[in-house]
Amino acid sequence: MKISLFLTIFITTITSHAAAPVQKHVVRINSTLQKWSASQPWDKSAPSKRRALGVTMPNNQILTTAEMAADATYIELENADGNRTIPAKVVAIDYEANLALLAADNGDTDGFFKTLSPIKLGGGAKIGDKVSVWQLEDNGVPLITEVTIQSADIVSSFAQGHYFLTYEAKGSMQSASSSYSLPVIKDGKLLGLLTSYNSKDQITDVLAPEIIAAFLADVKDGNYVGFPSLGIGVSNTVDPNFRAWLKLPDDVGGIYVTHVRKDSPAEKSGTLKGDVIIEIDGKEIGRRGYYTDAQYGKLFWSHQVRGIHKVGDQVEITILREGQRKILTAILKRPGKRLVPAYTYDTAPKFLVKGGFIFQELTATYLKAFGKDWQSKAPLDLLDVLRSPDDYEAGRNRIVFLSAAVPTPATTGYERMRNLIIAKVNGKDIADIPSLVKAFQAPGSDGLHTIEFADGNPKTIYLDASVSDMVDGQLLKRGIPILSRE
Amino acid sequence: MISKTLFLLLGSICLIATPTTYAQRLPDDTTAPIKVATPHAQNIYGSIVRIEAATQVPNYREPWKAGQFSGGIGTGFIIGHNRFLTNAHVVSNARRLLITKHGSPQKHPAKIIHIAHDCDLALLEVEDFSPFEGLKPLEIGLMPKLETQVRVIGYPVGGNRISVTRGVVSRIDFNSYSHTRSDQHLVVQIDAAINPGNSGGPVLQNGQVVGVAFQGLRSADNTGYMIPPPVIKRFLKDIEDGSYDKYVDLGITEFAMFNPAMRKKFGLGRTTPGVLVASVTPDGPCDGVLLANDILIAINGKAVDAAGNILIGGEKVNMNEVVERKFSGDLIKLDIIRDGKKLNKTATLKPFPPIQMYAVQYGVQPRFTTFSGLVFQPLDRNLYAAHSFSNTRVRRIFAHYIDEGIFKEREDVVILTRILEDPVNTHVSGHVGTAIESINGVKIKNLKQIHELLHPNKIPKFFVIKCEGIERPIIIPGENAAEASKRTQMNYGISLSHRL
Repeated sequence: MKISLFLTIFITTITSHAAAPVQKHVVRINSTLQKWSASQPWDKSAPSKRRALGVTMPNNQILTTAEMAADATYIELENADGNRTIPAKVVAIDYEANLALLAADNGDTDGFFKTLSPIKLGGGAKIGDKVSVWQLEDNGVPLITEVTIQSADIVSSFAQGHYFLTYEAKGSMQSASSSYSLPVIKDGKLLGLLTSYNSKDQITDVLAPEIIAAFLADVKDGNYVGFPSLGIGVSNTVDPNFRAWLKLPDDVGGIYVTHVRKDSPAEKSGTLKGDVIIEIDGKEIGRRGYYTDAQYGKLFWSHQVRGIHKVGDQVEITILREGQRKILTAILKRPGKRLVPAYTYDTAPKFLVKGGFIFQELTATYLKAFGKDWQSKAPLDLLDVLRSPDDYEAGRNRIVFLSAAVPTPATTGYERMRNLIIAKVNGKDIADIPSLVKAFQAPGSDGLHTIEFADGNPKTIYLDASVSDMVDGQLLKRGIPILSRE
Repeated sequence: MISKTLFLLLGSICLIATPTTYAQRLPDDTTAPIKVATPHAQNIYGSIVRIEAATQVPNYREPWKAGQFSGGIGTGFIIGHNRFLTNAHVVSNARRLLITKHGSPQKHPAKIIHIAHDCDLALLEVEDFSPFEGLKPLEIGLMPKLETQVRVIGYPVGGNRISVTRGVVSRIDFNSYSHTRSDQHLVVQIDAAINPGNSGGPVLQNGQVVGVAFQGLRSADNTGYMIPPPVIKRFLKDIEDGSYDKYVDLGITEFAMFNPAMRKKFGLGRTTPGVLVASVTPDGPCDGVLLANDILIAINGKAVDAAGNILIGGEKVNMNEVVERKFSGDLIKLDIIRDGKKLNKTATLKPFPPIQMYAVQYGVQPRFTTFSGLVFQPLDRNLYAAHSFSNTRVRRIFAHYIDEGIFKEREDVVILTRILEDPVNTHVSGHVGTAIESINGVKIKNLKQIHELLHPNKIPKFFVIKCEGIERPIIIPGENAAEASKRTQMNYGISLSHRL
């Protein structure tokens, strides 16, 4: 949670009699997080710390947000009183829905959980319901704040572009330790997890129980799958001129399909670019993409797919194509692999160091490392791959590019080369780092490696095989721990 | 390429500075006695004039507007009968030019005879030369040597009268001319103070002009840059036929052959000359003459070293210096090694108009057309500077317009730069700042074509405007279009609907 520190409003809803249940169901989570360095992919960046409150689940497990466990080097559980700690491990994590389930890792598990008991997951809340946010003071005294549910919406709280059912609740909160994310309770049962707090508007975002229930159900068999996706991009149909051109009658709403991903459930169902989706599972979709949910009122259409269904479920899509109504059936699955991964939590960057050249697989994480203005500062040719992956996909699993050249005897004259996409090495097409590693094992008979860029001046350069092997040895001696990660 | 922040010595700062220093103190008892300059120096001062420009800078954000009225001060000097040399940037976008003689209050209306933006030089004449008769024209001398002393004379900020500074020649280099933001020529760096207003003034050595002061460096002290004699002489020669034809370029990218593995691959010994031809500009003078991966070993008989330099007059200079002194139609002999074989090739230099995409344009009004509140403008350096385009595709097209041969397909890359809100377009969003791909299925090649497609004789039911990278097209119903165009022009005060 991002609680701002200038919040000094007194909370009048603190009740001490609730101490017992809070201490029974809540543990502090102390995480040490460490990302990988974008420019020197063998290194990790400086560690940072996050503290939050998790809630107890059956089987001595703890539920929290994915933000608390993603890129974690060390996670520790601490009881409310602060007199017991135990290391923890991740049982399951969903970066898209922002949920993680933790368990004790070694140590006195029974002792730690002796005074704790699992909290029950409740049902959904209604607009206007008053619910409690649980916090702990440093000394273990509970702080309970009542907030009022104002609306339900589809919100992205961690991995960008993934939207899940979230309540927005109004209420003034105060800063306390371990508040990065917090449990929210209704009638003694868990309602959801607080993922953010805006002190200016006094609005909290609370991840809804429906999403938590789906996550926990998925974890049960020990094989976590994740939330399904349809695989489309859409645009609204508010513009009356656009509607007239699409021949949309006034009594339907509908969303215009701008993109259908390859091998996605939508593509397999026969959905085409240019179709207008007017119903999903019989629920009418309005011009802005909202349908009417029995419990929450207007919700964005994606909840009808991701929030309600699981992988393998069937979804009925009603479309208008050239004014004709058609019903298509999609069998939902997880989104396929992307040419440029959108997030890379807990995944070390794949790279190869050869003679001082640093080759990497392109990820959105790499581009975002260019800072706040990464969309204008990151290399243009690499940004274009992120924006239009379809143009680069042929023959590739990933984009391999030259990210930098360490000045060495092998890279003399190449020092300024960077951010160049690799097409071939030693005549072999490069689909990913493993194929690059393999290609470098077979230099030409003249003892030279041939590196071909997709685009560059010059397009082809050469690297002395024996000199670069010698340089690689020196780089290891100079402290680069490994020369590749496949 | 070395990245530097260069600034032109004339700009709005001159306009601000000039009036504040107008209250010029006349020499009186409190100031040191004025040293009377030698008669020779007096002669020279007379030939150095103050140029006052009133400018009108076009507005690329709202192209129908008249633009910004502004102005500035620069320096010029007489080089012949009614021929005043100055910088192009002193007189660019000028609506009125006035020349003032040293020591005279009279302002003489002047006009541009020739202007060369690519090398930042211009030639002016006055309506009536008689007041200048008898003044000695300055002679253009030879390239000054390193460490020799020079004088910079002009009318910089900080006073109204002529100013003289001294310095030495610190460096001779091939460097950027910031006026167009896209040209590189020979530059001489001096350590004399060059300030706004010095622009266009002569740099003298032994009474001869060895440079035209033109730009400075903001990030460093005591670095002034001047345009050296070879560039000045080339300009004067180019205009002999009555028109300026611009610089011509070989149209190749070279890559220094420093890497031992690279040298081995191309069979070059340790001291063998030659630079790699990394790429050849499509449709450029070397297209069909040179190929990528040729090794260029000599240009017009001068050996090219591994870094692409040649020896001229005892100085190592970039090999492009040979081409720099040539004109359109001239031949260039190129000795190359291709696949291990020595070959002798000849390229004919010719103008390459698409390169203008990257040069700042002056003295032209922005082209555009409007339709139902939508504003369309062709992409060029001026437009790029006026709008901050964030669309990756537009930025990429701009960056690769020449090397990927995009210019062959698209004479203009037309950008939807603005939507003036009107009932007909109010629900269109996310399209501003993208390139127009097609209109009613017809691929867009230039601005004129867009204008014609949007104003056809037979009005279609819908105008379908497809923007690059956005699937959802902009739809304007044919029957509402003309009325919406009229309405937006009226409401937003658009005095001109198009300029093609």
